[in-house]
Parts: sequence; C-alpha cells; structure tokens
Amino acid sequence: MGMIIKIAWRNIWRNITRSLVVIGAIVIGIWSIIFLVSMVNGMIESYIDNAIKNEVSHIKIHHPDFINDKESKFFITDIATKKSIVDSITGVKAVSYKTVTNSMISSSHAGRGITAIGVVPKDELNVSGVSQKIVAGNYLSDTKKNQILISKRTAKKLKVKLRSKVVLTFQNLENEITMGAFRVIGVFETGNNIYDESVVFVRQKDINTLLEINGNGHEVAILINNLPELESIQTEITKMFPGLLVRNYKEVQPELALFQSQIKMAGIIYMVIFMLALIFGIINTMMMAVLERVRELGMLMSVGMNKVKVFMMIVVETILLAIVAAPVGLFLGYITTSYFNKNGINLFFYSEEGMKQFGFDKFIYPNVPTDTYWQLVVAVSVTALLGSLYPAWKAVRLRPVEAIRGSFETRAGLVVSLFTFLRNKIRMIWT
Amino acid sequence: MDLIVTHGITKIYNPKKIPVHALQGVDLTIKKGEFTAIVGPSGSGKTTLLNIIGGLDRQTVGTVLIEGVDLTKLSDNKLIDFRKNKIGFVFQSYNLIPVFTAAENVGFIMLLQKKPKKEIDIRVHNLLKSVGIEEQMNKRPNQMSGGQQQRVAVARALASKPKFVLADEPTANLDSRSTTDLLDIMENLNKKEDMTFVFSTHDQRVIDRAHRVITIEDGKVVSDVNN
Repeated sequence: MGMIIKIAWRNIWRNITRSLVVIGAIVIGIWSIIFLVSMVNGMIESYIDNAIKNEVSHIKIHHPDFINDKESKFFITDIATKKSIVDSITGVKAVSYKTVTNSMISSSHAGRGITAIGVVPKDELNVSGVSQKIVAGNYLSDTKKNQILISKRTAKKLKVKLRSKVVLTFQNLENEITMGAFRVIGVFETGNNIYDESVVFVRQKDINTLLEINGNGHEVAILINNLPELESIQTEITKMFPGLLVRNYKEVQPELALFQSQIKMAGIIYMVIFMLALIFGIINTMMMAVLERVRELGMLMSVGMNKVKVFMMIVVETILLAIVAAPVGLFLGYITTSYFNKNGINLFFYSEEGMKQFGFDKFIYPNVPTDTYWQLVVAVSVTALLGSLYPAWKAVRLRPVEAIRGSFETRAGLVVSLFTFLRNKIRMIWT
Repeated sequence: MDLIVTHGITKIYNPKKIPVHALQGVDLTIKKGEFTAIVGPSGSGKTTLLNIIGGLDRQTVGTVLIEGVDLTKLSDNKLIDFRKNKIGFVFQSYNLIPVFTAAENVGFIMLLQKKPKKEIDIRVHNLLKSVGIEEQMNKRPNQMSGGQQQRVAVARALASKPKFVLADEPTANLDSRSTTDLLDIMENLNKKEDMTFVFSTHDQRVIDRAHRVITIEDGKVVSDVNN
C-alpha cells in the first residue's frame, strides 16, 4: 500500500494545473457549503429567536378551546397563581400571563382589526422582547391607566402618533360590545411586519376590566433556560394542569418547524448538487489522467502490477486530491464563518422590506455545528471515492498488450464488445 | 535446458470480421542463456510472438511452455504473477515511471514482489552499477538521455531476477553510441549471469551481435541460424 500511496501522491503533482483545478473546486465547494450552512443556521436561529422573543415564547398554556375560537370566554382561571406555580419549575427562566382578545382599533382617521394583548408590564419585560423594540415613547408602566403600545406600521396606517388617542372595541363575556379609549405611549418595531400589524399591547388590568374577567387570562407564556429541556418541562407542566392545553413553540407555530426543515432541506439539496458536480469534475480529471498514462499503465500491468493495485492507485490518487483540498476548504469555511459570526451579516442591505416581512432580524450571525465539518469530510471522501470508480475501472479494462503501444479500447469499442457478448449469449440460450 | 518452447502458435486478429493471420503455426525452442534476435520486416509478427511468449497476449491456437509451464492454462491473475516473477520486459520507448527516480523505477518491481527494503536497496545499486548509471540513480527519467533511460529499463527488467528478458525493439529510439553501449551491457549480462535475452528487432547492429537469429515473415519462421 505504501508504494501505491507513493506513486499516487507523485502522480497528482505531475500535472499541477489540472490537480489544482480539482483541488480548487473541492475547496470552493466545501467553503461554500460551510458558508451556506452557517447562513442557513443563522437565519433559522434569527427567525426562531425573533418568533420566540416576540410572539410565541418557548411554551404556552391556553384553555383547550381558545386555540380554535379565540373568544374571551375561554380563559384560564386564577392565572396569577398558575403563573407562580410554573415559575417554580426548575429550568424555567421567566413566565408571564396575558389576556388576548380580538378587537377593533380606531383612530379619528381609520380603523382596523387587531389582536389586543393585555400584559403585566414587569412580567412581560422578562418574557417578550417588545420592550426592547420601542422606537418612540416608552414601554407600558404599572401605574398609569389605559396606555397602549402600537407598532410603527399600525401608527402609520391609523395616522396616529405618540400621545394620540385610539379606541379599542371588543365583545365582553356576554357578547356585548364594549370599548375603551387608550393613549399611545409607545411605538414599537419588532422587524416582523406581519406581527407588527396584527398586535397592540395594553395593561392586563385595563383590558380585564373591560372584558369583565378580572383575575383570569387567556395565556401563560414561558421562557426556558435550555432548549434541549423543552419537552421535559412541557411534560411536567402538562401533568400539573391536566385541563389546560400546553404546547411548545413548534406546536404553537408549526410553520417554524416547517421553515426550519425546509431551509435545512434546501441546504442538503445544495450539498447534493455540489457533490454531483464534483463527481463529474473528478471523473473528468481522472479520466484525463488515465488516458494520458495509457502507455504507463500498460507497462505497470505488463511487469506484474495486478488489476487491484492499478484500481487502488487511481482511487488513492483521487482520495489524495480530496485529502489535500478538504482541510483548506474546511479552514477557509471556519475562518469566514467565525468572522461573520462575530460581526454579523446585514440582511437588510439585500432587501429590508422582504426580510422584515418574513420576520428576520437586521443582522444574522452565521454559525456551523461541529457535526457539519465531519459530515463534509465524509461527504467529500465518499464523493472522491465514487468519482474515482469509473476512471479506475477504465484503467483496469486496459489490455497491457494494447496499452503498451498507447492504444486502448474506446467507449464505442466497449459498447460493441458488450453488444456482441450479449448477442452471443442470447443466441446460445436460443439454440 | 529448454526455457521457452512454442508449439504451432497461431494468432488471428479479428477472426470473425476481417481475419488477420499474424502468426501461423510457429514452432520455436529457446534454451537458457541464449542471446536471440527475432527479426523480420514490419508486420511480420515478431512483436506478436514476443507478446505471446511474454504472456501479454494469448494465441488463437497452440501452446507456449515456459520452463514447462503452459501459459495457456494460467488464469489472468496467475499470468500477471508469472510475468512479475519470471519475465523481464524492455520496451521500445523505455516506459519508465516518470514520477520515480531511476532507483525507484528499478526497485518498483521488487516492491511488487514484496522483497525487503534492504535487499531492494542492495540489488538496485548493483543493477544500476552493472548498467553503468549508478550516478544517475536519483534522477528522474526526464533528466536522463534516451540511452540512459533504456539502461534503467534493462536494470528494471533484471530486478525481479527473471528467467529471461524480452526486449521489443530496444534500440529503435537510440543513437549508435547508446545502441552499442546497451548491447555491450546486455551481452555482458548474458555472458556473466547466463541471462537469456530475446529481442525483436530489425536493427542490423543488434542482428550482428545476436548469437541466434530467427527470421519471421508473414507470421512464419523462415530461417533460424546461429551467428
């Protein structure tokens, strides 16, 4: 084997340009896959983090009927006590409870349908990121009555500004229309246009009074410390409140999981396409290497190198090319990812509105799981191996007596031979 | 002692389409220690005969016995091993491995034979010395002249301690001086080590130095004389 490796290693440097082209293709391919995977991961994390911070939290508790029909009557009783119980569970980072109701928001200029979320301001600070997304005015305070936080987009559509008055209209428990006037004390912008246009925040006390559900609420939102503990904590809460519906963020927003899987699938498809392109590149290069050395291969076989060794020589040559290229590609990928992981990539530079529409942050921070590096090493090795099989097979098909003169069986010749062989076999069977 | 014996060797190319009779019933016996030239015009069948004797090609009809072993009965893999251990080859265009030095080219076959490194080193040195290019042992083929490369090829052919050496037009690409030097080396090895050489050639300088000259025309032996 040592001799095979030695001869293969030297052979790959016989035509430096050609070898560098293959090495370059592998390096660029590995680098681009690492970068793509890191981008994809960064985007997924950004998207999910945004959704968890602003909308869904890690776990939510609802009345079982509330998710189908968001009527005020499907509330959770004594919600503050339940919040305290959940808060005591190990692994839970923060808990808040809310009243959620569909309503109409109107200004003197316009009106629109919206979801009003009634929160306990100090609790919500720990669970939701809205307080950090205030672009004008202030966050809700516990002391003042009838304050409202609206998004920048809603403010624009209602043509209101800070200190303007808006009216929220909704149905109470008796299905009677009730309304309250609220003053805009803050304007937020989460970066997710769809979400921003669909919610407003008020104090839970205020909205509960209007809905006449004091002491109750519709939703308990929970943040946990470690994502891997998600399911165990969910199970624990479910056991504590058997009559309530406890769901994790993937169940609350299945599109998050779908998005995650779709974008990962896109990454895999890209990797497969690259590997296929690489296989053809390797086949092409190694075929050239074989055809260029027909006479030499003929000599090797003439003097006693058996077919297995000739086959191995071509395979090892190809794998050595991958071994040279892979560390360079991995290193470049690592360097690039590390740089952007530290400094971030400004997605809004590309398409601010589009990205906001989909709920992405301005900056994403690419990162690559360590597994990806190993997967790439294996994938490139397998690709190199597969790419070398056809040229190696062509090499062992050479007949020494012809190869030594520099001639070899052409593909057409092989097809004719195969056809003749099959025809003779069929004739034999027929007769 | 009969080293190579052929009985009724016939080789027909394209037997089903346009048959070409390269050899027609060649009977030949070559004894150990002979220095034989197979001569004849281009297309007479001398290279085909050499290829069949060397186990590189198979005859259509007939048998080839090397030291009593019938090559026709050997499988492809056995034939490869047989060539590796019993036959040395010298080709017209040297056919050295370009990425190996002279020493590595010579030692290569011994590596295939799985000989110990120490034995390889000693034999390579001795062989390169015997063909007069021990000083070139670390040079690659592209750093050597045609004559020097062919001497390396002769050393390589002898490395496996073969029973005989087949040389297909070994001097075809060499100038007069290199041809004379190469023939001196081979004749010397023939005399000193009793190594059997069989050449195919139409180079008169080689024919003049051969001890036995077999002439082939149209695939048949037309004369067999001792010089």
